[in-house]
Amino acid sequence: MTTTHRSLRRLLAGAAVLSVVAVACGGDDDDAAVTTTAAPVATDAAPETDPPVDDTGTMPTELGAGEGEVNLIAWAGYVEDGSTDPAVDWVTPFEEATGCQVNVQLGNSSDEMVQLMQTGEYDGVSASGDATLRLIAGGEVAPVNTDLIPNYADVFPDLKLQKHNSVEGVPYGVPHGRGANLLVYNTDLYTTAPDSWGEMFETDSAAAGSVSVYDSPIYIADAAVYLMSTQPELGITNPYSLDQTQFDAAMALLEQQKGIVGQYWALYTDQQAALEGGTALAGTTWQVIVNLAKANGAKIDAVKPVEGATGWSDTWMISSKAAHPNCMYMWMDHIISPQANAEVAEWFGEAPANTASCDLTADPDHCSTYHAGETDYWTDVWYWTTPEETCLDGRTDVTCVPYTEWVNAWNGLRS
Amino acid sequence: MSAAVQLVAVRKTFGDVVAVDDVDLTIDNGEFFSLLGPSGSGKTTVLRMIAGFEEPSGGAILLEGIDVTHVAPYDRDINTVFQDYALFPHMTVQQNVEYGLKVKRVPKAERRQRAGEMLDVVRLGGFGERRPNQLSGGQRQRVALARALVNRPSVLLLDEPLGALDLKLREEMQTELKAIQREVGITFVFVTHDQGEALSMSSRIAVFNQGQIEQVGSPVEIYEHPATSFVAGFVGTSNLLDAELSARVLGASAPHTLRPERVSLLGLDDPLPDGSLAATGQAVDVQYLGSFSRLRVHLDGGGVLVASVASDALAGVSDGARVRLSWPSDAALVVATSSSPI
Amino acid sequence: MRALGRFMRRHRRLSLASVLGAPVAWMLVIYIGSLAFMVVSAFFRLDGLSQKPTNELTGDNIKTAFTTWTYVEVVLKSVGVAVVVTTLCFVIALPAAFYISKVAAPWARRGLIVAMLLPLWAGYLVKGYAWKAMLRPGSEFGIDTGGGFLNATFGWTPGFGWIAVVLAESYLWLPYMILPIYAGLDRLPPSLLDASGDVGARPMRTFRSIVMPLLVPAIAAGSIFTFSLTLGDFITPNLVTEGKVQMIGNLIQRTLGAPNQPLAAAFTLWPLLIVIVYLAGMKRLGAFESI
Repeated sequence: MTTTHRSLRRLLAGAAVLSVVAVACGGDDDDAAVTTTAAPVATDAAPETDPPVDDTGTMPTELGAGEGEVNLIAWAGYVEDGSTDPAVDWVTPFEEATGCQVNVQLGNSSDEMVQLMQTGEYDGVSASGDATLRLIAGGEVAPVNTDLIPNYADVFPDLKLQKHNSVEGVPYGVPHGRGANLLVYNTDLYTTAPDSWGEMFETDSAAAGSVSVYDSPIYIADAAVYLMSTQPELGITNPYSLDQTQFDAAMALLEQQKGIVGQYWALYTDQQAALEGGTALAGTTWQVIVNLAKANGAKIDAVKPVEGATGWSDTWMISSKAAHPNCMYMWMDHIISPQANAEVAEWFGEAPANTASCDLTADPDHCSTYHAGETDYWTDVWYWTTPEETCLDGRTDVTCVPYTEWVNAWNGLRS
Repeated sequence: MSAAVQLVAVRKTFGDVVAVDDVDLTIDNGEFFSLLGPSGSGKTTVLRMIAGFEEPSGGAILLEGIDVTHVAPYDRDINTVFQDYALFPHMTVQQNVEYGLKVKRVPKAERRQRAGEMLDVVRLGGFGERRPNQLSGGQRQRVALARALVNRPSVLLLDEPLGALDLKLREEMQTELKAIQREVGITFVFVTHDQGEALSMSSRIAVFNQGQIEQVGSPVEIYEHPATSFVAGFVGTSNLLDAELSARVLGASAPHTLRPERVSLLGLDDPLPDGSLAATGQAVDVQYLGSFSRLRVHLDGGGVLVASVASDALAGVSDGARVRLSWPSDAALVVATSSSPI
Repeated sequence: MRALGRFMRRHRRLSLASVLGAPVAWMLVIYIGSLAFMVVSAFFRLDGLSQKPTNELTGDNIKTAFTTWTYVEVVLKSVGVAVVVTTLCFVIALPAAFYISKVAAPWARRGLIVAMLLPLWAGYLVKGYAWKAMLRPGSEFGIDTGGGFLNATFGWTPGFGWIAVVLAESYLWLPYMILPIYAGLDRLPPSLLDASGDVGARPMRTFRSIVMPLLVPAIAAGSIFTFSLTLGDFITPNLVTEGKVQMIGNLIQRTLGAPNQPLAAAFTLWPLLIVIVYLAGMKRLGAFESI
């Protein structure tokens, strides 16, 4: 019963992939195509192979004309058409150049993005590392033929073909940029900048009662990052790779934090309002929120604390069911073009993915501020990734707590 | 012994409207007293003031000689049967009847017994567990009666209680009500707009018109000797002769009333009996009503007179015929002119 | 056309079926169908990696949803809030409806009914944000937070917590309690009140023994609205507590967003069962004759 259904499901997924391919595939065996696209995570210790660009028929080999529109799921600040700030606009030039009208649905969390992508109604997504593997495993996204994306050549090498954006050397999407989740603080309360996440976790925090926490299971990793410094005896080496003991310690820390929390924010606008109103005095944030709140007069600033931070390395991925694949390929090329990538990196407050962008930023020091090319800086930034039972840090003597358990634990904490 | 109910110059106004205008009334113990009048005449307002649902704008109301003008309904030894029965829909018949006793903290056993007895009196024994909506109109009527009587009030008020019943049931209930009144011996104050009902049931009647009492008296007095043109017209049917017509036909220049059944048909050439008066005219309408017929006559020289005569005496009389009417001279009664004749 | 009309008249049953058939079928498919699908999907196992439901059946979701104490606690707290809100609405609605129906002058009555219904016209989110603004504390740690109406007027605010949820929910759903009670009072024949006083009951006794029992169906009907609307709400609790308070609706939304559709479906069975039990109870009180 089960296996029948599963192969049916696989067949359907494969058919969906095939249906959106712009160029009809050659006379290859359909079954082969289906197997390759729908079960990319079946890593039966197969040796590394070249990207199956031309011989599988699952990726386009050349681009046709744009379909007139493209439907994106994106983080706030990634797809700006001038409606937030007239000076911030890299969508209009794209629309004018390609004729592809851009429709954007903001995703408030990686979880939400996964859920939205599961509907199959979108062409692509700016997925963070904790969503990418889930999307690949679920067959929601398709591998990308980087030959059709000229700007891919200029992407920082240490962002290419990483664990979170490729499978067996096949790229699933193009790197967008990276950044760290920061500690935001009220400058009236903190006359000297705090330098530790302790302000958010310890009960004697100056901001106790007005701490603003990101409302997502992935935030458990932030507690783990803090524990890496404060409780080294736990032996945490990767905040997304926690055995049960380590996980329980992180949850205990979050329970302790609960007493001083003033806000759990899921919508970035909620935190922005709390920062502007002064009801949030310390919190975990994104640079873009800080920029928006400061523009409205909020007395705040943000730092990356000494313990390091969680962060993101985002990837534009194309849906396996994309209705407008040509426009999506054009978008992926556009968003990592030197100019657009520079603009989005500056606006969002992150390091660009394109090496050439550093010369085009309005602030000439942007790349150095955000440490775009400094490999050292990123060593204590832990990109969001999906926790799995198989420990990501290489341990084999224990199993790690998988993401579904993170979700349950977060639910329990919040209840 | 004081009167059961006494109204002294009672007045009630609603805004600019005078509903009850300086009414004086005395109702004796054990009477079956009817308040008769057309709708809007003030009779129901008087009843509601006696019950305490309305407070008089002026005057005083005494029960058994005690001033209760400003006493709330729940402190008056009076109970009411409402026009729409007002049974509590969420209670059984038994609970409805017991409710008043329960409120007065009568012990449960006694409550049971008295309610049971009262349901027997109104011939509803065995209906105690039913809900009001499972009863017919007549049965609901009797529950309402039992619910009021079980409290053993000194006076029972009945507000058009038979109005919602069909004719046959109404006649049955009239008989039954009188029987019950005799049995319990309580003063009944009965509001009705049906003069037949009032005449057949009451020991005395007060006739209301425009917020005032036109006449108080026994049914016979009211019918035979109406004091005003309104009473004469409202209670039964009557010929009303204004001063001018009276002067011509009766020889007395005051308004008179003359009951149609006192008028008889006389041969055009027959001698006039002693102590009788007569008038000639033209028959304009003959209504056959079974054993009696109603004859409408245009009198010579103006005026209309209606006669109620045995149908067999009408042989040969048809529309347009010349007829002669006569009546005993004492049948024509002087009446006061009412502000609003019928 | 005329022939068709004649045919329809002759076959009433058929014409009734043709008129009502489509909407009824639509209702069955949409309402019952989606409900059934939800119940069924609670038994699907979630694939841990892709986070998509598989076709394997499992009772684990139900077990998790119904035996994990933290979740049961959320359910109990939600029911508690719904009960408190319903009670509060009742306590406010009864005198309000009584005043409108029995005390206010006829010309004022219409205005009061309009005033009572007017908040229903305002946007739900607007009202939520308005409460948030009203509840905002004045200052924390000496930092001006632009305190809200309550703080400015009374110098005190319950802040963003359970009390905030109860206040906002009570405000939101109050009209749904006033309306049926008002209608119930309006339907109450005045002669019943006279009759009760007539046999010796004082006003309080009349209220207790006559008015209240006859209002039970109306109150039950109103409570269905306040109870189920509160129980299912997740936007307002999130809004007026800065996300600190979680009700059953938040749990479902959060789980659905995880995404863990099967577990979310299992959680949904909680309010479904509670509301079914509640409706059954209210039906016994005659609520459905009063809607």
